[in-house]
Amino acid sequence: MKINTHHLDDLALGSVFLATGGGGDPHIQQLITHQALKQYGPVDVIDPQSLPDDAYVVTVGCVGAPTVSLELLPSVDEAAQTLEAFEDHVGRTVDAVASFEIGGGNSMIPLVAAVGRGLPVIDGDGMGRALPEAQMMSYPIGGVRPTPAVAYDYAGNFATFSTDTTETYERHIRSFAMAAGGMVMTAEHPMTGRQLKDTVIPGTLSFTIELGRVIRENRGQADTLLEPLQEVFAPSIYGEVRQLFIGKVIDKATRIIGGYDIGEATIEAFDGEGPNLALNIKNEFLLAKLGGRVVASVPDLIVIVDYETSTPINAERLRYGHRVAVFAIGCPNFYRSEAALKVVAPRCFGFDIDYVPLEKLS
Amino acid sequence: MRIGIDVGGTHTDAVILNGDEIVASIKALTSADVVGGITAALDTILADSGVQHSEIDTVMIGTTQFTNAIVERRELSSVAAIRIGLPSGRGMPPMVDWPEDLATALGRHTYQLHGGYLYDGFKLANLRDDEIEAAITDIAAKGIKDIAIASAFSPMNSAPEKDVGARIKAAIPDARITLSYNFGRLGLMERENAAILNTSLLSFADRVVSSFLEALAKRGLKCPVYISQNDGTLMSADFVRTYPALTFASGPTNSLRGACKLTGLQDAIVVDIGGTTSDIGVLQDGFPRESNVVVNIGGVRTNFRMPDILAIGLGGGSLVSTDGKTVGPQSVGHKLVTEGLVFGGKTLTTTDILVASGKAELGDKTAVADLGQDLVRTAQATIHRMLDQNIEMMKPGGKALPVILVGGGAVLVTDGLKAASKLYIPENAGVANAIGAAIAQIGGESERLVSYRDMTRDAAIAKVTAEATERAVNAGADRHTIRAVDIEETPIPYMDEASTRVRVKVIGDIATGSKLQKAAS
Repeated sequence: MKINTHHLDDLALGSVFLATGGGGDPHIQQLITHQALKQYGPVDVIDPQSLPDDAYVVTVGCVGAPTVSLELLPSVDEAAQTLEAFEDHVGRTVDAVASFEIGGGNSMIPLVAAVGRGLPVIDGDGMGRALPEAQMMSYPIGGVRPTPAVAYDYAGNFATFSTDTTETYERHIRSFAMAAGGMVMTAEHPMTGRQLKDTVIPGTLSFTIELGRVIRENRGQADTLLEPLQEVFAPSIYGEVRQLFIGKVIDKATRIIGGYDIGEATIEAFDGEGPNLALNIKNEFLLAKLGGRVVASVPDLIVIVDYETSTPINAERLRYGHRVAVFAIGCPNFYRSEAALKVVAPRCFGFDIDYVPLEKLS
Repeated sequence: MRIGIDVGGTHTDAVILNGDEIVASIKALTSADVVGGITAALDTILADSGVQHSEIDTVMIGTTQFTNAIVERRELSSVAAIRIGLPSGRGMPPMVDWPEDLATALGRHTYQLHGGYLYDGFKLANLRDDEIEAAITDIAAKGIKDIAIASAFSPMNSAPEKDVGARIKAAIPDARITLSYNFGRLGLMERENAAILNTSLLSFADRVVSSFLEALAKRGLKCPVYISQNDGTLMSADFVRTYPALTFASGPTNSLRGACKLTGLQDAIVVDIGGTTSDIGVLQDGFPRESNVVVNIGGVRTNFRMPDILAIGLGGGSLVSTDGKTVGPQSVGHKLVTEGLVFGGKTLTTTDILVASGKAELGDKTAVADLGQDLVRTAQATIHRMLDQNIEMMKPGGKALPVILVGGGAVLVTDGLKAASKLYIPENAGVANAIGAAIAQIGGESERLVSYRDMTRDAAIAKVTAEATERAVNAGADRHTIRAVDIEETPIPYMDEASTRVRVKVIGDIATGSKLQKAAS
């Protein structure tokens, strides 16, 4: 498969849906990708299974505060330069580029890096959604080390990293990003073809484009969205889709703690009848309770769309009075493994409950 | 006395207010020549009411003219768009995501220069003399006079925009320049787009304002003239020569503000029922609740704030199905007076249902005498249910709120609304927009990214409020009446815990005897 400029609207729409409330508005990432594909032509997408075991793959994306990139715009050549700086640093060439996170703008930055260097991009990512912390990526969960890594700023300054754990790497890179204007591009979590095949959430790049197409073709009131969503998710690595609630936001309070947007939202049925839906937020929507009963929890996906248009809404923009529909989607099986639940189970976010897969909840 | 005029797509409404009292009101069809239409409305209302020209203190106008110019791609000037932000944003020039026809209409003359600031006040890059000179030389060679300038983080530090603007003004003395920081709000591309759209309208705005002031002068009207902005506040006519883009979407805002004035309610749902749609909006503290989605004008993303309006396909001309269970969204619109059953036409509309129910006398009621009782009752129930459900969705929280009905179609509501804690259909509801224009005050807004570590919260809010106040005074407000109506603090994820975006909006009364008023009179 090749991704061209005409795929980008659907990719952006699908990626906002899978961002489960996080990730910000990917408009600028979409624009930069559009410019890069216009300049260099379409980018090749390859199935992870087609890679030789000894191939060398690196993930590329933006790290920092999305709000900052509203003023400090990325450059078309920046992602490829980040990759070049990485190759110089490690003293070898890269065979393919992968994404950290399919949810949000980092679904697209790998395309910019790959096409600028004439490389293919992997059909897959490290989350299958959006999650707030780097150690929650499937790559480190599967034993891939974060470094050697390179972070590259808007002016071409760069830093190299060598750290033990992804948690430490995340702290270091965030301080560098803050010192470099709030947003940097990184090449990190390098791995072999074998490691990639063992840890990647496969097929998510092509799936996100397909998902975006389905949402686009079913624009309009969200009460007719469930069936098309079930059709597209059922045969995928995700599976179950449920419509949790339709109503309006009657309360939303979040505040920044440790750099994360943390808080709660409450949604009430339009007619005010029946129990409310309560949502817990840490950048993403993580836990949904209907009248105190858990109806979906991380690592399963919780997605909110605008009731009138079916456009996915991110947590930062969700506000009092918003009319919405809430969906839950089962996560890929990788995230239900013991190793993954050690870092992404509800308790890892401070919720005192065990994880129960969506389809086992009544 | 004040005159308020609202120029809509189909109707131009005018009212004369004496203090709070409505002295006269008229509704006329909007003419193709908008200035001609406004002056005609003015002449009619003055003649009808017998009010003397000398008794008029101010004229307030709400107009969609500048929005329409953008949407229809007419009357637009060539614009040089300068972005200061290199080395960031290479390969992402201004207007990169614009519709091709609009970018072509403006000429796509874009320049990217080094300079600007980072979020923490650190310099992004230094301005470079050679780059500035090269841009000026090119602009001068192309004969472009309308120039938009935007730099990274200019709402926090506007020095690069001002420096480059001054250099251009020195080299091209008759240049008309828009600096993006005047459009507040973070989001470089959206702010830049607002500045470019504004710049493309400067020459047109100059002509419109001049011809309008001339027309008033000819009638011996020496009072100042104000134009409505999208946030329900006013700017002096001369200010419009510099900021025409601030008039975008003032129509729905004026209707909400008018409903507020007619009822005295500060918190309410306002339903403006026209011929084709019902526009539902929310009044909070007397001002429209704003929408929080990116506002698209003529295909361009901008950072303008617009009222949050839910439009549904229900109006006085909406088609009714033969079982009465479906109403709208198709409508005969302004052809109601020929196509509706009671007017001798063949189409069953909501107005025919109203007449058949016996709740209104309109046209020929024998034309609807054959409609079955069941059909009439079902259709009425459908109309009320549509309104109830949609009003319910606009209500903040479970809060019981009164509903104000305005617009010509308000008569369709015959049986009350369950969604309303109390229902108001004020007298003069048909000209609510013109009233909204007539009562508007003057506002100002400012926004900054601050760290509560460097500055206390109170000091930060005071600083942003002071900036907003200066803007309001410049726009013609009386400094002593200015008060903050909205303070918004948004913490920034993934940054220092104390990083917050602070936005303040202030409003005040029109300054009497101000410099601007003297200039206008």
